Amino acid sequence: MTWQSFFDVSTMEHRHLLFAYATVLVIQGGYCAWIAWNWVHTKGSRR
Amino acid sequence: MNYLGHVLDHLRKDLRLEWRSRDSINGMLFFSLLVVVVFGLAFDPAGYPTTTRQIAGGILWVALLFASITALNQSWARELRNQVLEAQRMAPSPASALFLGKAIANMLFVLVVEAVLAPIFIVFFNLHALGNIWLLALILPLGTWALVVNGTFFAALGLRARNRELLLPLLLLPISLPALLAMVQATTGVLTADLDPIQINTWIKQLAGYDIIFTTICILLFETILNAE
Amino acid sequence: MEQRTPSLRNVAWLGFGIAVAVLVVGFRQAIFLTPADAAQGNVGRIFYYHVPSATMGLVFPYINFLAALAYLYWRRRNPLRALAADALALASAEVTVVFVSIGLITGMLWGRVAWGIWWAWDARLTTYLLLWLLYVSYLLLRRFSSTGESHTLSAVLSIFAAVDVPIVYMSIRWWRTQHPAPVFGGAPGSGMDKSMLPAFFWNLAGWAIWGIFILMFRFALERRRQIAEQEAALQAIEASLEIPQ
Repeated sequence: MTWQSFFDVSTMEHRHLLFAYATVLVIQGGYCAWIAWNWVHTKGSRR
Repeated sequence: MNYLGHVLDHLRKDLRLEWRSRDSINGMLFFSLLVVVVFGLAFDPAGYPTTTRQIAGGILWVALLFASITALNQSWARELRNQVLEAQRMAPSPASALFLGKAIANMLFVLVVEAVLAPIFIVFFNLHALGNIWLLALILPLGTWALVVNGTFFAALGLRARNRELLLPLLLLPISLPALLAMVQATTGVLTADLDPIQINTWIKQLAGYDIIFTTICILLFETILNAE
Repeated sequence: MEQRTPSLRNVAWLGFGIAVAVLVVGFRQAIFLTPADAAQGNVGRIFYYHVPSATMGLVFPYINFLAALAYLYWRRRNPLRALAADALALASAEVTVVFVSIGLITGMLWGRVAWGIWWAWDARLTTYLLLWLLYVSYLLLRRFSSTGESHTLSAVLSIFAAVDVPIVYMSIRWWRTQHPAPVFGGAPGSGMDKSMLPAFFWNLAGWAIWGIFILMFRFALERRRQIAEQEAALQAIEASLEIPQ
């Protein structure tokens, strides 16, 4: 496969492949970003 | 006083309270009647007797499940008034006796609803069971106990939570899935006679096994959640 | 604590870097290097993300169960340690939901193409859906229950979940051997060709390392929150003691 054929959305197979990978990245990345955001917004230990 | 005495005391208390107001049972009855009517409108029971027999088992258990959920929430709500729950926690009787008494009381209420619901089902869906109908006398109590024992436990779990009414079905449905599968399959098997007796017996045994396992777990863990703070 | 933090932070960044690096290699292997599957074509590449995520989704519930047991054991004996166990239980429950959601969604997307159906009620899929429902209900219980008791109640729910999942799997599997579901061809991933192995192992390793990293990150966040809460409570108590009588 090439980058071009990866982003080709003409057939259902390609679309679903792309959606699947995109979903994984979005969910994992989003969760990690949420944790990081909360980390920054929680007060650190005084000690 | 021994354990059984405590259980019977709690049972008598709940039965007496319910008898005086009767709001749980009335609520359950009307809810179940509503479900029967709505499903009767959704498809034509008289025109498609085979389909009716195939799905009647599922409809029965759905109606009972939702009806008991409405009653289960109420059954613990009466312990919240007048700080009765604190008194229960301080009482020397074991906490699991309270749980068992209440579970048995809820079981009796749902059985009463079933006894009323069964003729209504038969009438409105023109049901006549093709299999051995006496098996239903075994399946219905076992299935009901599976729903009631977990339901009583999870209703107590969510007692001091906000959104208590939402929490009970949310917790109860995933946990009850194997029991639901067994009771619906067994009931449908009896009604349609599609399953041979060995399979129905296996479903009944699975249901009984589920009952035993989860009753034990609930009794063991009830003290933990009652004193969760 | 001050001396430990920089080295812990370095380990964390190292873990993050390694996970991302392995995943990038895995992505390259899966998309560009491995030849397309003979039967399924390019959509079979979903396998390299679906199976590792689904597998990791089965590992974290055990961590949650063990942490819940640890919490109940230490609850009266050593409350501070119990609190740490509870933080681990919450972190592993959230990470479970993340991985199982990914497993479900990618599986459905793949199934629609490979089998023509979005879903089937067989033992594996139903148990997986149930796992998702149970841990979502765990998280909702934590959110909805009143603060003092949410730790204990959710620990008890973990025990119920741990007992329930095997029962569900066995009962539905027995049911399906009695009444076979419509047959839809060999299970995806049945029979892995040697050319698929590098991509599979890189992605499995990558998601495993990522899973552990994100679990530790979430655990650290929860501990940070717990400690911040304790310090705020301590400050409030000290402030109340300073009020002139």
